[in-house]
Amino acid sequence: MSENTDPLLRLSKVTKHYETGGQSVTGLEEVDLDVNPGDFLAVMGPSGSGKSTLMNILGCLDVPTSGSYTIKGTNVATLSTDELARLRNREIGFVFQVFHLLPRASARKNVELPLLYAGVPRDDRARLAEEALATVGLSDRSRHLSNELSGGQRQRVAIARALVNHPSLLLADEPTGNLDSKTGEEVMAILSRLNGEGVTVVLVTHDPLIARRAHKIVYIVDGRMVTEAEFREKRG
Amino acid sequence: MNFLEYLSVAFEALRANRLRAALTMLGVVIGVAAVILLVSLGTGTKNYVERQFAGLGSNILIITPGKVETRGGPPMVGPARHKLTMSDSNILQKKGYLFGGVAPVVFGSAEVRLSGRTRNVSVLGVTPAFSEVRNLRVEIGAFLTEADVEAKRRVCVIGRTVRKELFGNANALGQIVKLNGARFRVVGIMENKGVSLGVDIDDIVFVPVRTAQDLFDLDSLFEILISVRNMNDIESGKAMAKSIMFHAHNRHEDFTVTDQRAILSSLFTILDTLTYVLGGIAGISLLVGGIGIMNIMLVTVKERTNEIGIRKAVGARNIDILLQFLFEATTLSAAGGLIGLVVGAAGAGALRWAFPKMPIEVPLWAVLLSFTFSLFVGIFFGVYPARKAAAMNPIEALRYE
Ligand SMILES: Nc1ncnc2c1ncn2[C@@H]1O[C@H](COP(=O)(O)OP(=O)(O)OP(=O)(O)O)[C@@H](O)[C@H]1O
Ligand SMILES: [Mg+2]
Repeated sequence: MSENTDPLLRLSKVTKHYETGGQSVTGLEEVDLDVNPGDFLAVMGPSGSGKSTLMNILGCLDVPTSGSYTIKGTNVATLSTDELARLRNREIGFVFQVFHLLPRASARKNVELPLLYAGVPRDDRARLAEEALATVGLSDRSRHLSNELSGGQRQRVAIARALVNHPSLLLADEPTGNLDSKTGEEVMAILSRLNGEGVTVVLVTHDPLIARRAHKIVYIVDGRMVTEAEFREKRG
Repeated sequence: MNFLEYLSVAFEALRANRLRAALTMLGVVIGVAAVILLVSLGTGTKNYVERQFAGLGSNILIITPGKVETRGGPPMVGPARHKLTMSDSNILQKKGYLFGGVAPVVFGSAEVRLSGRTRNVSVLGVTPAFSEVRNLRVEIGAFLTEADVEAKRRVCVIGRTVRKELFGNANALGQIVKLNGARFRVVGIMENKGVSLGVDIDDIVFVPVRTAQDLFDLDSLFEILISVRNMNDIESGKAMAKSIMFHAHNRHEDFTVTDQRAILSSLFTILDTLTYVLGGIAGISLLVGGIGIMNIMLVTVKERTNEIGIRKAVGARNIDILLQFLFEATTLSAAGGLIGLVVGAAGAGALRWAFPKMPIEVPLWAVLLSFTFSLFVGIFFGVYPARKAAAMNPIEALRYE
């Protein structure tokens, strides 16, 4: 069976260039990466090295300039916008670096959003959203508007939203960046637990202590994948 | 997502910006209210005119002397070789088996006098058939009889106004009045009819037709009115009247047969057109309201680019985004339309209350049409902004601040 041998995600020679003001900026350069089902992968790299770019491509939000990205053997470039939407809705949970919550909606409404587009009935949505908020320890804030929450609370709402629809792939762009070490630990415990339940997790972080919780670490510098040695050398 | 969920998302968005939603709706409210008011005015006017004509009967043919060209060019009255006479009337009566009544009419005006009081009135010389053809009844006494006509009796039937002016509250029946100096006995008083088409039916004196010819020194008739027994036979009745007259006048078509309904229907066409034009002009303001919706929706879509990006990132399909914004636009226009209906109907009611004489009737078709139209205005002008929103690229939308 090919499913057993194929990785869950495969990037081959993925390059992303941004065109801004007539000049081309490199986001990613010829990145090869395999992620197997059940992996817990950490991505490290200095600021501006292309980590978020990589996550956006993995999350089917952006497309590579060249190279191919396949999920379970299917080339993402061949999927229609509706199929991509379905993939983002059912298979992928995304925690953005800058949260991206609806400001005038309550925490619960924000968490409900993926369920709404999954066609889950209203009552089930409310229940599932409350459960997800409880998981990140925010039950008491479910009726607060998201712009009334602190940075750390928003981060946790974003995590609750990412996991509410039980995705098989969780992409988290610096999920602990705004948290104190104790809350950061709690978030890492949640990710580890989900990973233990079979969810594939890809995590971006600057913190080596956090990265150590993952099974595997990849390093990116200036859009290229590098070894740990090269990474330390570049960082000086 | 089902219909109700799209609707509730749209409602939430509109609630977040209440003042803006209300102002945008206002355009549609005014448009729909204007359509309802103007169409109601047009329809009321038409119905008013229709009622005014109703007493005349729509099964009536009128024969007048001379040939009027009604088709093309200005109306031309050719010289009448023969005038209309009582014998024409008699032949029509004898041969026209489709006719209910044939009423020869002589028209003139005279001074009517009663012991010092005088009044200038219209005098109609008629036969008993007139009362039936024109649907006018006597209230006190009796109408003129065949014997009155044959014997050229000097008797008259007077209208209510004439009676009041000359007799006040005193008894009029059997009294003698003078018409242009000749003595006439009052045998009847007409029932109250009021003003119809600017003619005061109550200000008329009816005398036997032959008596009138003597009084005005005429040997001809002013017109002959014919009622066709069956409404459906109006066309064949017209042809019959023409053919009888044609032969009676030695094969000269020196008369005109007009069909009351034809005159009315062209008048109604004009009034209908007027109503549609008024409604159409008001409809334009509804269109302007629609453009207002489009404008605001474009602003909204731009402002909420980040929201669109978020929704797409968590799995909204293009169609979900499209419908979300389309529902918003349509909710605006439909709510505006409903409020406009209420405002328009209330306005019509207020006008009728303030000016009881003003003819206003709110027709159901205008209510349904203007509401449906407002709904379509919302959909039509909502589609472009909604498509713009749906077509956004998720990552670019997310980056937009
Ligand atoms: N939309 C864009 N347009 C132009 N250039 C971009 C865009 N997004 C990213 N870049 C550029 O691509 C490079 C990689 O950016 P990216 O956001 O992936 O970095 P990052 O590793 O996530 O950094 P950080 O740790 O600060 O979040 C940067 O040089 C950045 O300037
Ligand atoms: Mg980043």
